[in-house]
Amino acid sequence: MLDLMTAEFNLDAASTAPSKEELLARVAGGDEAAFGELYDQIAPRVLGLVKRVLIDHAQSEEVTQEIFLEIWQTASRYESQRGGASTWIMTMAHRRAIDRIRSSQAGRERDTKIGIRDLAVPYDHVAETVEVRIEHERVEKAMSRLTELQRQAVSLSYFSGYSHREVAEFLHIPLGTVKTRLRDGLIRLRDELGVAS
Amino acid sequence: MTDRDQSDNVTGNGSTDNPADLAGAYALHALSAEEAAEYERYLERSEQARIEAAELSDTAVALGLSAAPVQPSSALKASLMAKLASTPQLPPLSAPAQPAADSPAVTDAPPAPGAPLTAVPKASDATAPTAAPAAPNAAPRTSAGERAQRRWFQRPAGYLVAAAAAVALFVGGTFAGQAIYGNPNDQFADQQAASLAEINAAPDTQRASTETADGQEATLVWSGELGLSAIIVDDLPALGDDQDYQLWYIGEGGPISAGTFDSTGSGTSWRVLDGTMTAGDTVGVTVEPAGGSDQPTTDPIVAIQS
Repeated sequence: MLDLMTAEFNLDAASTAPSKEELLARVAGGDEAAFGELYDQIAPRVLGLVKRVLIDHAQSEEVTQEIFLEIWQTASRYESQRGGASTWIMTMAHRRAIDRIRSSQAGRERDTKIGIRDLAVPYDHVAETVEVRIEHERVEKAMSRLTELQRQAVSLSYFSGYSHREVAEFLHIPLGTVKTRLRDGLIRLRDELGVAS
Repeated sequence: MTDRDQSDNVTGNGSTDNPADLAGAYALHALSAEEAAEYERYLERSEQARIEAAELSDTAVALGLSAAPVQPSSALKASLMAKLASTPQLPPLSAPAQPAADSPAVTDAPPAPGAPLTAVPKASDATAPTAAPAAPNAAPRTSAGERAQRRWFQRPAGYLVAAAAAVALFVGGTFAGQAIYGNPNDQFADQQAASLAEINAAPDTQRASTETADGQEATLVWSGELGLSAIIVDDLPALGDDQDYQLWYIGEGGPISAGTFDSTGSGTSWRVLDGTMTAGDTVGVTVEPAGGSDQPTTDPIVAIQS
């Protein structure tokens, strides 16, 4: 199912550096050096996502620390046959970021400060590697294939951390409609991005 | 929001009660805990839905990877690496091949703090993964994952003994509670290990660190939801036979004893506190006559507020 991730992450694994899956297996055995290496490989992606959701840098670093401690604690629960290590880590990272929004006032304050955003945030193309830029553009292009309403709903929940009920309230549409848009939107993205099992 | 999409509305209104409709919101972490649990019950019944959930979760990850990477401060890594030693790891979910009979030896003679931890049985070394839980989702620690973990910790003692051994090894230190309970008390050790792992696996786990009066690193890990906390101290000095370390929950009603423990003087000592933690409680450690006191008789060597 994870052809997509594997392909992407092979790009930056140009050297003979151990894969994230290998590192994670060593982390499960208490290998601190492997943990440090895994951190170096993926921490910027984790912090990038968390900061995209939380905006505030200090808070994002805090959550990133929690995420990596969780990786350390639960590495033994990672099952490689269920998917790549990056998928496991990024899913955990997103859930932690969302938990932070839901559990604090940060989310609300943040909303009033920045208002509604979508995928078209300022993006620093210069600082990024070619691989990262290709990924970004691929996702942007896939997002552009969604209906405006699907795109809004997906973006509001994934990047702005709104629950589907909040999305319904925000967009003044019935909850059932939001559910359908989120599902149809993700299915469309899945097909556009070629994520398949 | 003015360009309302009519076809969306029609399908949306017609299918509000179909659990399959939650697939998108679930993958995007846009459901409440209750709703996610409901969807996971549905996943357990439907292979088709599990495949969809995994694919949509991967799709969400692709969105996550489209965010611009941000380089963390170097302080973040340093602080993280420093926390590893006092952060116990969960043992693998599938039962280790190690027989339970080995564990008393392990807890009696903990490895030196720097002992290689790779000796711990890994999931990949275990025989057929008979105990693999039916977690329906590839996502780590979704509430389904958490439930699977809780189920695991509710399993019979035989497995928990092995878990206790594994946790003790991972911590690389002493099982603190043991010495004062006379003979190694396996059941107590099991409960302690299971509780510690449960705290670490709780959705609301928090931790706070400080130094003891003598400068040892002390960490309190707690879960308000479980009402449980554990204290983890590095290189806590050994006490004579006539003294014990005693734990206290200090809330509005004053200090309440939360058990005693001992230390071998090196490595990591830890102890899950007895009783129930109330949010905001301060956890204190004092040195008391062997067996403990009703009220603290000395100043705390460390106090951490939850």
